[in-house]
Amino acid sequence: MSTLVDKRRIDWAGIAFAVVLTLVIIFPLIVVGTWAFANVWRYPAIIPQEFGLRYWGTTLSRQDVWTSITMSLSLSLMVTLLSCIICLPAAYAFARMSFPARNLLFFSFLAGQAFPKFGLLVAIAGIFLHLNLIGNFWGVVMIQLVGTLLYMIWIPVAAFQSVDRRMEEAARDVGASPFRVFWSITLPQAGPTIAAAVLLSFVGTFYETEGAWLIGAPAIRTMPVLMISFINNQPVIQYGAVLSVLLWIPSFFAILFARRVVNSSSFARGFGG
Amino acid sequence: MTDTPAGNIAQATSPAGDIVGTRNRWYLGLLLVAAPVLLVCWLIIYPIIAAVVQTVWVPDADGVNRLSLESYRFFFSDGYSLANLWITLWTTLVCAILLLLICLPIALYLRFSEGRLPAYVQALAIFPMFVPSIILSYAFIRVLGPNGMLDILLNAAHLPKIRSPYLTPWGPVIGLVWDHIPLTVLILLSGLGNVSNQSIEAARDVGAGRLIVLWHIILPRIGNSVLVAASFAVLGIFSAFTIPYVLGPAAPEMMGPFMQRTFRELYDPTSAITQAVISFGFCIVFGLFYVYSVARNQRT
Repeated sequence: MSTLVDKRRIDWAGIAFAVVLTLVIIFPLIVVGTWAFANVWRYPAIIPQEFGLRYWGTTLSRQDVWTSITMSLSLSLMVTLLSCIICLPAAYAFARMSFPARNLLFFSFLAGQAFPKFGLLVAIAGIFLHLNLIGNFWGVVMIQLVGTLLYMIWIPVAAFQSVDRRMEEAARDVGASPFRVFWSITLPQAGPTIAAAVLLSFVGTFYETEGAWLIGAPAIRTMPVLMISFINNQPVIQYGAVLSVLLWIPSFFAILFARRVVNSSSFARGFGG
Repeated sequence: MTDTPAGNIAQATSPAGDIVGTRNRWYLGLLLVAAPVLLVCWLIIYPIIAAVVQTVWVPDADGVNRLSLESYRFFFSDGYSLANLWITLWTTLVCAILLLLICLPIALYLRFSEGRLPAYVQALAIFPMFVPSIILSYAFIRVLGPNGMLDILLNAAHLPKIRSPYLTPWGPVIGLVWDHIPLTVLILLSGLGNVSNQSIEAARDVGAGRLIVLWHIILPRIGNSVLVAASFAVLGIFSAFTIPYVLGPAAPEMMGPFMQRTFRELYDPTSAITQAVISFGFCIVFGLFYVYSVARNQRT
């Protein structure tokens, strides 16, 4: 590839991309971060008149903030747990077993991708209306659970398929029980990718806004939903800034642990690339 | 649950190949996949069919169900609904074009260079994937909103304030483009992986310039990826909710906020579902093409 790039020349294109993308992508987030630590910032000062943690105290003492944090965490944990329970055995079956209509069922998880998401949510809400699941915790759980299915099945299927089958056979040959083989050979090899899928589905659920807003309101208030009402009705700018910083924490962990999965070529192929 | 799949390793590891099933065990596979498959049937396939049926098969004055296109006729004769549809189509088209114009150069640059600077550019291009759209919306208002950071900087440089795109149709455009950069770049980059270095070097050897190489060698080979990226963007943008709801004008509004308001504030589920079915109709070609592309990649 180096033949295509003249090493002696300065990479002007790269510098231009780096500068523009830094300004467009990082700079707005730095502004939000600055607001979160500004005690006083009045127009037209370029930097806050007074830095400090005053608004962390006032934001964290608000009842609605704590309720939304607990609600977001319990929803995401419940959805991720249910998703693991129903998806991981299914992924194992898709990867290792033969049964009628296997391919058809495997690709059925794509059905949701063919439709604009919010339209689909409205169609589901129409069904939930008759089941009294609107404004209900379990209604939101169901709708967010559906959102995790595709990745919680497809990524683990790829993980199970990439496990070295000869190692499993060798372990069987020397007398290991099926459970022992699964626990000591299959799981350690497939584990990291599956863990990344679980983390991504937790983070994805944590940030899911549209289903929570359409199905859950007004009883179910997650952090992103609270953030919408802060943007619309809250005159104190710092509340939203502090909540943004808090809200970004799960993403930070996703970057730390799941970046490898996102950067892999199979990830882009999973989106049709 | 763990010992059930493990019980099948014995047969699955037989030398006959990857997938081995015995006649008496096939139901076990079906049993294991039943829960997620039923969930897809109940919460994706059934709602779509029900949405179409309940908007065309409606009770008339006597309470008898009959075929009627009344709710669709209303949508397509109502000025406000049509204005919302129009702003949605405009936003989707503008975003798709902007995304390709922005992401194709980034992807081309990343494909044909290596080192620390391209790694940094790639990390930046993928970063929005890790910023939820609600934080993005908030950051947008703090920077481009009235008296935002840009105004502060312009004021410091003794320049006039900008006309803020916040609460105008350009607000959602900027937010949605920002939000869709990572996957567009990744999809295009993946497509560019299919362009071999040899074919480009060969063209260069016979004296082809950069533009000629781009137009005659690279673009024909990544045409499919461009279509996939565009379809993905159309599907995501057409019924986007959060960003247009927070950043867009109150009227006309995009289909996402329009459906939400019709459903939750006007308590008119039939009209909301009609709007959803109309959204399905406008996106169906892109949706089927997108799903076909993903499925084809998965098979190979």
